[in-house]
Amino acid sequence: MNQIRRHFCSVLFISLGCLLFVGFSVSSQVPVVRVVVNPSVESKEISVEQIRRIFSMRQTAWSNDQAITVYVLSNQQQTHQVFCIKVLGMFPYQLDRIWNKLVYSGLGEEPIKVQSEQEMLERVSQRPGAIGYVMQQIIGDNVNVIRVLEE
Amino acid sequence: MKLTTRAICLGLGLIGQSYSLDAEPLKINGFIAQGIVQAQDSNFVTDDGDVSVKLTEIGVNSAYRINPSFRMAGQAVYLEGGNRYPDGFRIDYLFLEWQLLNRPNWKIKTQIGRNKNYHWLYSSTRDVPHTRPSIVLPQSLYFDVFRDVALGVDGLVFIAQTNNKLGEWDVNLSYGNSRITEEQKKNLLGSNSSGKLKHDFDIQFSLYLRPNLTNFQFGFSLLDADFSYQRGDNDTLFTGDETSQRIMFNLLYQGQRWEIASEVMKERVIAENILFPGFYSDVTAEGGYLQARYFLSNQLTMLARLDIYDRDRQDRDGKNIETLSQDLVPGYFGLMDQATVGVTWKFAKNIQIQAEYHRVKGTGRLAPIFTPDTVINNSKYWNMWAIQLMYWF
Repeated sequence: MNQIRRHFCSVLFISLGCLLFVGFSVSSQVPVVRVVVNPSVESKEISVEQIRRIFSMRQTAWSNDQAITVYVLSNQQQTHQVFCIKVLGMFPYQLDRIWNKLVYSGLGEEPIKVQSEQEMLERVSQRPGAIGYVMQQIIGDNVNVIRVLEE
Repeated sequence: MKLTTRAICLGLGLIGQSYSLDAEPLKINGFIAQGIVQAQDSNFVTDDGDVSVKLTEIGVNSAYRINPSFRMAGQAVYLEGGNRYPDGFRIDYLFLEWQLLNRPNWKIKTQIGRNKNYHWLYSSTRDVPHTRPSIVLPQSLYFDVFRDVALGVDGLVFIAQTNNKLGEWDVNLSYGNSRITEEQKKNLLGSNSSGKLKHDFDIQFSLYLRPNLTNFQFGFSLLDADFSYQRGDNDTLFTGDETSQRIMFNLLYQGQRWEIASEVMKERVIAENILFPGFYSDVTAEGGYLQARYFLSNQLTMLARLDIYDRDRQDRDGKNIETLSQDLVPGYFGLMDQATVGVTWKFAKNIQIQAEYHRVKGTGRLAPIFTPDTVINNSKYWNMWAIQLMYWF
């Protein structure tokens, strides 16, 4: 009987170990996108609804009336796709539709497109009120990371 | 001087002034698209129903922010669509925007000049090929014969955006009119009309709600427009008036793989004296479409749509049209139902090709409207296909 229990425990531990390994592997593979802002931006955290409005270009000023400049990567870049789905809870094509409507009906302006995350960090650091996002490590204090509050 | 011309002068002046101030850079975007199309057994594109290259759309737009409160935006387009709408250059929109309030939870602005129609799902970018789900939009609502009038107004637009616990809200209000060209008039009234058709005024209101953190959008809009006709020399028509009142509801769902869109409308059309002195017609049309798009990949999108339109909800099969015209006009001029399938392939950055096929029953949305062309449009069922290559920047 004890032998069966021992076998059962071994199987349980091995299974748990496998699960933990898989879980760790998966979680370590889930990319994390950080929302970055220019140090002039006072807000330290932001709601998911608000960040949706900012990247949909519906909200174009911070609460202290400072103008918001939005920087984005192209649709093809993984960082943009992860940002849309994981942070905004939207699909990249939805943002495209919104921006197209703004640009081609005259209603508003689309975000400024940048080529790389490095350029994103540089542009956000240089423009007061700017906001963007990166997946790469952030070194230095040229930009602030802003926390996105989930519902 | 026409309001549009005045707005253009104002715009050029402001842009020039802004250049001299060397503020923000001028933004320029545009699109170019060319296709081939065939609408057999109807005059939808050409009278002979042959394959045609009358499917050209070119546009350039620009926007300039003068300061945080004022902004200019304009778009010029060149269009060729055969019988669908008049060919040539035109100012699509050109207005001065005044931001009245810009807070995190509220945005209110007004636009004066030539404004787009912001009230329907696809009306504001109707001429921009890559923003449309299909080359030819559902004719129940996006009636090409009436395109230039429905496209926008010379006048004033008021736009408010806010958000609360329920979601994001958009309120749009527009007031103004549109110039009706000679070709547009003939599309509506027939080639024998020599008088002047005027769009007296047009007022539209729309409300949109996107519930928080969902993929749904709901909207409704109201339209009231008045037209007057002044009889010309040797005219077959008479001085009269026409009023259109429309109510529309729309729904949009945007999922990862699926996008579902639907718009339905009810439109009351009152016509007085135009066909003959004492003529009076008051009918209510109904129509709408249900459209599904499936994203096979980031590059490939499939489309299926069913669109229906009845000119008179109390005469859906057009029997009254046959009776009143003493069988000169077939009943199928009172309806137009359309089944569409299509595919869009975005094969390079900012370049895509769109192809579609339409099977159509009825001729109720074919030009001219007041005096139907029963000679060319003598088929109850007809087909259309189109392929268009488009590039945008």
